[in-house]
Amino acid sequence: MNTAQSEDNIIVANALTKRFHGFAAVSDVDLSVRRHSIHALIGPNGAGKTTMFNLITKFLSPTEGRILFNGRDITTEPPARVARRGIVRSFQISAIYPRMSVADNVRMALQRPIGSSFHFWKSVKSLSVLDDRIDELLDAVGLLASRDQAAAGLPYGRKRALEFATTLALEPELMLLDEPTSGLGHEDVDRIADLIKQVSADRTILMVEHNLSVVAKLADAITVLARGKVLAEGSYSEISENPEVVEAYIGGSDD
Amino acid sequence: MFELIGISPVLLFGQLLIGLINGVFYSMMSLGVAIIFGMLRIGNFVHGAQYMLGAFGAWYLLHLPDIFPGLGLPSLGYWWALVLVPFGVGLIGALMERLFIRKVYDLEHAYGLLLTVGLAMMIEGIFNVGYGAAGQQYSVPESLRGGINLGFMFMPLYRVWVIVFALLVCFATWYVIERTKLGSYLRAATENPDMVRAFGINVPRMLMLTYAFGVGLAGLAGVMAAPIYQVSPQMGQSIIITIFAVVVIGGMGSIFGAIVTGLMLGLIEGLTKVFYPEGSTTVIFIIMAIVLVFRPAGLFGKETSAHHPSDIAAARPGSFLENGRLWLIVMAVGGSILPFLVYPVFAMKMLCLALFASAYNLVFGYVGLLAFGHAAFYGSSAYVAAHTASIWGFPTEVAILSGVAAATALGALFGWLAIRRQGLYFAMITLALAQIVYFYAIQAPWTHGEDGIQSVPRGYLFGVIDLNEPLNMYFFVLAIFLCGFALIYRIVRSPFGQVLKSIRENEPRSISLGYSTDRFKLIAFTLSAGLAGLAGGTKAIVFQIASLADLYFMTSADALLMTLIGGVGTLLGPIVGAIVVVTMQKELATLGSWVIVVQGSAFVLCVLFLRKGIVGTLEDFLSRREERKRIAADGGKASAPALDSEAAS
Repeated sequence: MNTAQSEDNIIVANALTKRFHGFAAVSDVDLSVRRHSIHALIGPNGAGKTTMFNLITKFLSPTEGRILFNGRDITTEPPARVARRGIVRSFQISAIYPRMSVADNVRMALQRPIGSSFHFWKSVKSLSVLDDRIDELLDAVGLLASRDQAAAGLPYGRKRALEFATTLALEPELMLLDEPTSGLGHEDVDRIADLIKQVSADRTILMVEHNLSVVAKLADAITVLARGKVLAEGSYSEISENPEVVEAYIGGSDD
Repeated sequence: MFELIGISPVLLFGQLLIGLINGVFYSMMSLGVAIIFGMLRIGNFVHGAQYMLGAFGAWYLLHLPDIFPGLGLPSLGYWWALVLVPFGVGLIGALMERLFIRKVYDLEHAYGLLLTVGLAMMIEGIFNVGYGAAGQQYSVPESLRGGINLGFMFMPLYRVWVIVFALLVCFATWYVIERTKLGSYLRAATENPDMVRAFGINVPRMLMLTYAFGVGLAGLAGVMAAPIYQVSPQMGQSIIITIFAVVVIGGMGSIFGAIVTGLMLGLIEGLTKVFYPEGSTTVIFIIMAIVLVFRPAGLFGKETSAHHPSDIAAARPGSFLENGRLWLIVMAVGGSILPFLVYPVFAMKMLCLALFASAYNLVFGYVGLLAFGHAAFYGSSAYVAAHTASIWGFPTEVAILSGVAAATALGALFGWLAIRRQGLYFAMITLALAQIVYFYAIQAPWTHGEDGIQSVPRGYLFGVIDLNEPLNMYFFVLAIFLCGFALIYRIVRSPFGQVLKSIRENEPRSISLGYSTDRFKLIAFTLSAGLAGLAGGTKAIVFQIASLADLYFMTSADALLMTLIGGVGTLLGPIVGAIVVVTMQKELATLGSWVIVVQGSAFVLCVLFLRKGIVGTLEDFLSRREERKRIAADGGKASAPALDSEAAS
């Protein structure tokens, strides 16, 4: 790989392998994500997509291989530090704080960069400087009206929107979205898809997605995984004409 | 005979033999604990009591004619006991599983531990009432008397038998679980009960039998131990904490690991008795600390998946019961009236324990970490305050602050070690670490062993206010309590507190937002230890004594009980709990040894029926009433589902 190419890539994973008790969930995967692109990771169930996510965000440590973020080796870093470097993920199951208010959920993301998180002697009121930014973010996902409600009471689709707003609040350089539209109704799917498009302007997005119409609409590049290996890579039109992909996808998926 | 570096071989081999004997008991016991933990996810604290039941079972069988005179029952000896008692104890285990333990499988791990702590207190308490601290003798069976002269030492036959038989039992258990179909079902049932159920296997019954089997092993160990150690109600209490440490060292997920670790630690303990007798009581706990630093998953353990803290807080955000400013005023006023209604000493005890429980609640309630060794901080501060006040002549307030400093430092160290593991392990580790401090206090010269530090001077506050005057002392304690309460309230309602709350609600999410959650847990743990130290140091001045009871694990259990009765994770819960527990202890003082049985029952009842505690239950009631009002105001329109059902799912 030449230098120009690697500078253009925000994330480069080399020969990534993760074994659980002998079973290789991901084996020898190379993945490069171009800066300021929307990159989709697709594949049938059990293909290793979520494991890849966990490896890149360091929630799991790779058995073998190396991960570079902006050219820096992050293979051995703890997950919280990786997050502070600007790789922020969402989760397959909506990751919200159920008993906190909607506004406080977003506040958790905004609070860290202002550096008072260890200040146990200060009042929470010191965090009210974040209110305007919270309202802006909630407005963007259409949650402003629910700002003081407990997050647990939101309907499912709204929880995903809240999670999205919280992730976005950190202004991550690289945003990893794990099935952002799964379980959503049509209206919510469109809203989230529009949001992803909108926020992708000055950042990179890597997403696992089952909804192929969303992938077709959003993704600049697609990597297809099957049984822990890379099956194909390319644009949507290239991928959709690849007979192996069609075989793996239609043969193996339950969607 | 030869001599090894000045150690006589008789002593060396003698201690090695004792170590080996202890080791096989550790193996058998930790095997049972590991099976129950592995299959049922229950930290079986009552295992020690079940072991004690085994020993008493053997003793009862031998004394049948004396216990039931006139029935013409025969006296059943050792061999009968060896067969009958494990079944009997196993049966009691099955009954306990059916009545109690089954109810907590689906709850947070914390409840399983609390429930078994309660059961252990009840069983041991009842035997304590019946037999006191005195041990009963149980002689070695006729056929196993005598021994073999090995030339360099005399090897009692009974001990050879114990080692051989115990190892056989351990190996057989390992074989059944790892190598047979029954074992594979067992292992599958814990991974995926629904799947195994689909095979037509009665999973609840299987779990009950597993529990009964693990308990039966403890009973068997008890029978075998009866001729070696004294049969006493306390025999299980001391061993269970060691067993937990053995399990932490060995690591979960390996039956073989439990056996080997038990043996090895017994031998190491024996060797320590030869070369450094002072360290023999703590060596296992210190090894545990070292293993945690270098191999957090344990010697034979596998990489553990991230397990996020338990969220069992019962508070309702925004409720007036959580309004610290309001309650600070209420308590300042109420506290000022209190000494005129009850004895000031009684009121001061309440305040010290309320502060202690509130400090404990900071880690258990607000971070979701099941700490089980807060006595170490409470007690060490009491000792340091007592020592600095009486020997070094520190002014009272400086003595208390010295205690706080010691507790804080200890908290930072223990926290640093313990946060490497989570859930039940966290409880076992904090418990074992606290035991080091306890044994240290038994041996160190400055702590005066069983006597403790007595006649601690109350002194003069800031050199002028005479604290020997009961009301002066009282208002000083009240001021300390209110400051502690205010500080806890501030911590909980600070940017830091928000992060703690987020960790409790969803730790992976907080990590993904960039929070190094372990550092937050460590700071919270250290603050909690310091505040527990504030309570302990104050207590030493008030009662003018620091004693072993302050460091004993029952004091840790008290903190837990107070928090649980009042309401975990609520602002007022620990205070309400302290009032209830201290009042209960006072009212029941006339019952003597029964107090511990009552307290154990309180644990069990709380876990089964009052998990949200008094304050949490009140919150539920208030929130339901509010909901009804709101629905009435909305014209009877159904509303979104209540918060609790959602949060619990």
